[in-house]
Amino acid sequence: MAKRYGLVIDLERCIGCNTCIVACKLENGLEKGSWIRVDTIGGNHRDSPGGKYPNVSMHFLPVLCMHCDKPPCLDACPLEAIFKRTDGIVMVDEKKCDGCQACLQACPYGVLVYDAKKNIVRKCTLCAHRIEKGLEPFCKICCEAEAMYFGDLNDPSSSAVKVITTRKSALLKPEAGTKPAVRYCPTRQGRIE
Amino acid sequence: MTESGETKVIRTACGIVDGVRCGILAHVKNGMLVKVEPAEFPDPRFRHICARALCSTQLVYHPDRLKYPLKRMGKRGEGKWQRISWDEALDTIASKLTEIRKKNGPESLAWAIEVMAYIRLASALEATMINPIGFGDAAGPCADEVTFGTQYGHLYTMDLKNPGMCVLWGANQAETRPYYWRRIRDAKERGAKLVAIDPRFTSSASKADQYISIRPGTDAALALGIMNVIFERGLQDKTFITQHTVGPFLVRGDNGLFLRERDIVPGDSDNYVIWDTETKRPAAYTQGGTRPALEGTYKVAGVECKTAFQLLADLARQYPLKTASEITEIPAKTIEKLAVEYVTRKPVASYRSMGLQRTFHGDLSWRAVTTLAAISGNINLEGYSEGYRRFLFDGGTMLYGDRFPRPMPILKAYASIMDGQPYAIKALWLAGHNFMNQVPDNNVVLKKLVPRLEFIVVSDIFMTDSARYADVVLPTCTFFEYLDMLPPLDILSPYVQLQPKVIEPLYESRPDRDIVNEIGLRMGLPKDFPLSAEEYVKRVLSSGHPSMEGITLEKLQKGPVETPPYTITGFNTMSGRLEFYSERMKEYGQELPVYLEPLESARRPQAKKYPLSYISTHTKYGNHSLMANIAWLRELNAEPLLEMSPRDAEARGIADGDMVVAFNDRGKAKLKVKVHEGIRPGVVNINEGWWHHQFAEGSYQELTHATINPAQLAVFEPNSAMYDNLVEVRKAD
Repeated sequence: MAKRYGLVIDLERCIGCNTCIVACKLENGLEKGSWIRVDTIGGNHRDSPGGKYPNVSMHFLPVLCMHCDKPPCLDACPLEAIFKRTDGIVMVDEKKCDGCQACLQACPYGVLVYDAKKNIVRKCTLCAHRIEKGLEPFCKICCEAEAMYFGDLNDPSSSAVKVITTRKSALLKPEAGTKPAVRYCPTRQGRIE
Repeated sequence: MTESGETKVIRTACGIVDGVRCGILAHVKNGMLVKVEPAEFPDPRFRHICARALCSTQLVYHPDRLKYPLKRMGKRGEGKWQRISWDEALDTIASKLTEIRKKNGPESLAWAIEVMAYIRLASALEATMINPIGFGDAAGPCADEVTFGTQYGHLYTMDLKNPGMCVLWGANQAETRPYYWRRIRDAKERGAKLVAIDPRFTSSASKADQYISIRPGTDAALALGIMNVIFERGLQDKTFITQHTVGPFLVRGDNGLFLRERDIVPGDSDNYVIWDTETKRPAAYTQGGTRPALEGTYKVAGVECKTAFQLLADLARQYPLKTASEITEIPAKTIEKLAVEYVTRKPVASYRSMGLQRTFHGDLSWRAVTTLAAISGNINLEGYSEGYRRFLFDGGTMLYGDRFPRPMPILKAYASIMDGQPYAIKALWLAGHNFMNQVPDNNVVLKKLVPRLEFIVVSDIFMTDSARYADVVLPTCTFFEYLDMLPPLDILSPYVQLQPKVIEPLYESRPDRDIVNEIGLRMGLPKDFPLSAEEYVKRVLSSGHPSMEGITLEKLQKGPVETPPYTITGFNTMSGRLEFYSERMKEYGQELPVYLEPLESARRPQAKKYPLSYISTHTKYGNHSLMANIAWLRELNAEPLLEMSPRDAEARGIADGDMVVAFNDRGKAKLKVKVHEGIRPGVVNINEGWWHHQFAEGSYQELTHATINPAQLAVFEPNSAMYDNLVEVRKAD
C-alpha cells in the first residue's frame, strides 16, 4: 500500500507554547511568519479564554497544511504548480508558481503563505526533506508538550495510527470534504475548534 | 560529536531559561551556529526544547550584540560611548576597583551576577556578592527553611507517584516549568484531578479540571480554611502528624517555646515533651513507647501547655468557611470541596510556585500550603531522595582558596548604596544581571542608587537597561562560545552536563572567566588566581563531592551524566520533624503559618487611590529580560501589554488596544492594554522582562516596592513582593 504521511495532534496536551511555530521558522529558514500557526480557541486574543470570568475556557489549536487527500488548493491552481506526491504530501512547485494566490482563497484552513519577496506561495511540506532522510517533521520533534504523533497513516504500526486507533480523533472542517492527513485528538471537553 | 557532511553536531545545554538546562544539539557549519534541536536523555522525560531555545541563532547573531568594550562619554544613561581596547577597559576597571577598595574597604565592591565565574573574583577580593534570589524567589526558601530545614522542599509536597490530585498554587507550570508540567500531565492522563488556584487564567489553568480564582495574596487564609474543614471533620492524618511533625510536642503557654525535659526537671535534657495518654503524664518523646496526645491543654511544671497541633487547630478555627470565603473571595462550597478532596484524593500533590511567594507575606502563604499538605498526610518522604540534586554541586569549587565573598540580600543593597547601611557599596559590577531592569522600585534604583555609585561595570551580550548606566561595558559571550560545566538546574533533573565551546567568541567578546582572570591579575591577586575553564571543570570533577561520584570528563563529553541520588532522612530542622510550628518565628508572631493581609491589597486604605492589584508574571516568550529583543519571539508577542478585565476597563472608559498608563506614587508604565477574560477583575498584569525602551513611558518595575520583610530577613533573605502592589490605570492622553 502506498504511504500516506500524516500527523495527529493531541489538543488536550497542546499547551500553546508556540514551539512548533519557531521550529518551522528555523527548519525552513523563514525570517518572517511560519507555516504552522497556533490558534487560541476561546477569547479575542492570543492566550485569552472565552466565556465570562471565572467561568472561562481556552485551548490551543495548531494549524498547518492538512496535506489533504482532495486538496482544494491543487484544483484551484491555474498553473498546476501544486501537486500531490505518492506519499500524500502536498507540495508547491515554487518554480511554476507565479504568485496568483488563487490557492489561498481555496484553502479552508488558511495555511498557504504568500511570500511577497519571491512572489510565490509557500507552505508546510510536512518536512518532506527530513522524511526522505528517515527523520520526522521538525515541529513534531520539537513539540514541547509531546502532543504530536507522526507516521504513515497506512501503517498500523506507526505511532500516529496507534493513537487514532486507541483514542477519539477528528478532522478539522470535515464538511470541506478535503480528507486531511492531519487529525486531532479533541480536548477533554471534546472540542477541536 | 558527530560529523555529517560539513555540518558538525555538538551536544550542549541551553543557557537561556533559568531553572532548566535542556540538552540541545548545536549544528555548526563553517564555524557558524546554524541550528539547534532537542537532545536525548537517558530518561526521556528530560528531552525538551522550547521556542526560546530554538531562537538561539537569533540570539547569537543578533545585530545588537555588544562587539567591543565601551567607555561612557556622556552622563550615565545618556547613551554616549567610545570604543576602547580590552587593555584599556581592563586597566581602567582594575585601577578604579583597586582605588575604591583601598579607600572604602573590600566590601565596597559588589557583584550582582548570573554568571558564576565572578564568585572566584569576589571571594578572592572578599567583596560583596549581591544574592539575586531576593528578587522574587526568596520567600519560598525562607518558608521551607522554617518548615523542612532545607530551602528547597518542593519535592516534599509534589508527590511523584500516582497522585490523585495535583493542586497548582500560583503555579503556571505549563509555561514556566516544563519538567514539572510533564509530571502533572502524566498524572492527569492517569486520571488525577488538576486544580489551578490563580488570579489569572493561565495556560496551566486552561488544562485544569477546576479553576479557582483567588484574591491575590490570600492563599494562607484559603489553606487555613481548608485545614479547618479537615479538623472539624477529624480527617487529618493523625499518624503522619504524630510521627513526622512537631504536632504532638507541648508548647509553653507563657513563652511559646517547646517544652523541654529540662523545664520539668532542671538540668535534664533538651528533649521535646509530649503528653502521654496512657500514663496521663508528660514524657520525653521517644519513637514508640509513648502514646502522645495530639490535642489538648495540659498543665506541666506550673505552666499551661498545648500541643503544637492544638495551636494549629485553634488558629484554623479562626477561619471557618464564611471567614475564609470572605477573605479569599472563593465560594465557601468550593473551599469545602477542595478540603474534602485533599483527603479523599490522596496522595495530593501541591505545586507551590512563584505566584504564591511574591506577595509581601509570601513565605506565610508557602508555609500554610505546606502545613495543609502535612496535616492531610500529603507529604512525600520517599520521593524526596530521588530528585533533590540541584544544589549538590560543591560551591567551594567556585571560590578562591578559603576566602568567601560577603553575601548581601538584594533588597539590603538599596540601603547600602543609598545610606551606607550597614556599609556602603561604592562599585557595582553587573555580570549578565540586568539589575536596572529587573529589581523593584525602578525609579529609586535609577534616580537614587545609580548616582550614589562611584563606578558601574556591566559585562553582558547586549546594551541592556543596566549597561546603559555603566561606566565601562564589556562584551561577553553567549553560552555557545565558552566551555563550562553545569549542575542540573531543575530540581527534578538528575543530570550534569558539559557546555562545550561550540563556536568561537564573536567580535571582540570574551568569556566572563577570562575577564575574571585578567582583572584578578591586574588587581594584584597571586599568580595562582587565574583559572581556565578547563581547570575549573577538572576542579569540580575532582572536588570529592558525592554529587561528582563516578563522573568523568570523558563521560560528560559523550553526554549528560546522572548524579548519584541524594537522600535526606527525615527533616533537617532543629526537631528533626516537619515544623509547622516554629520557635524561631515566635518573635515575629509567625510561629504558625498565620494569614496576614497583603501589604498593598485592595482592602488597604491606599486602595482608595490605587484600587488595582498589580502583578508581573513570567511567560513562555522570554526569560526575564533575555529574549525581549528577539525578532522571532516578537512576532508572537510584539510588545508589553497590560492585562485587564473587561469590567475594570469599562469602568475606566478603556477599550481593548488603547494606550493606558498604570501608575502609583512610585512610578508609571505606559503601554497598550489587552482587555480580556483571562484575568480576575481588580487585578492587572504586565509580563515582566520588557526593556525600558519597549514601554511608551516608564517600566513594569517602576510600580513595585522594595520593602523588606524582617521575618524573611531573619530566616534567609527578604523577597521582592512583585505581586503585592497597588496601581490605578487610566487611558493615556
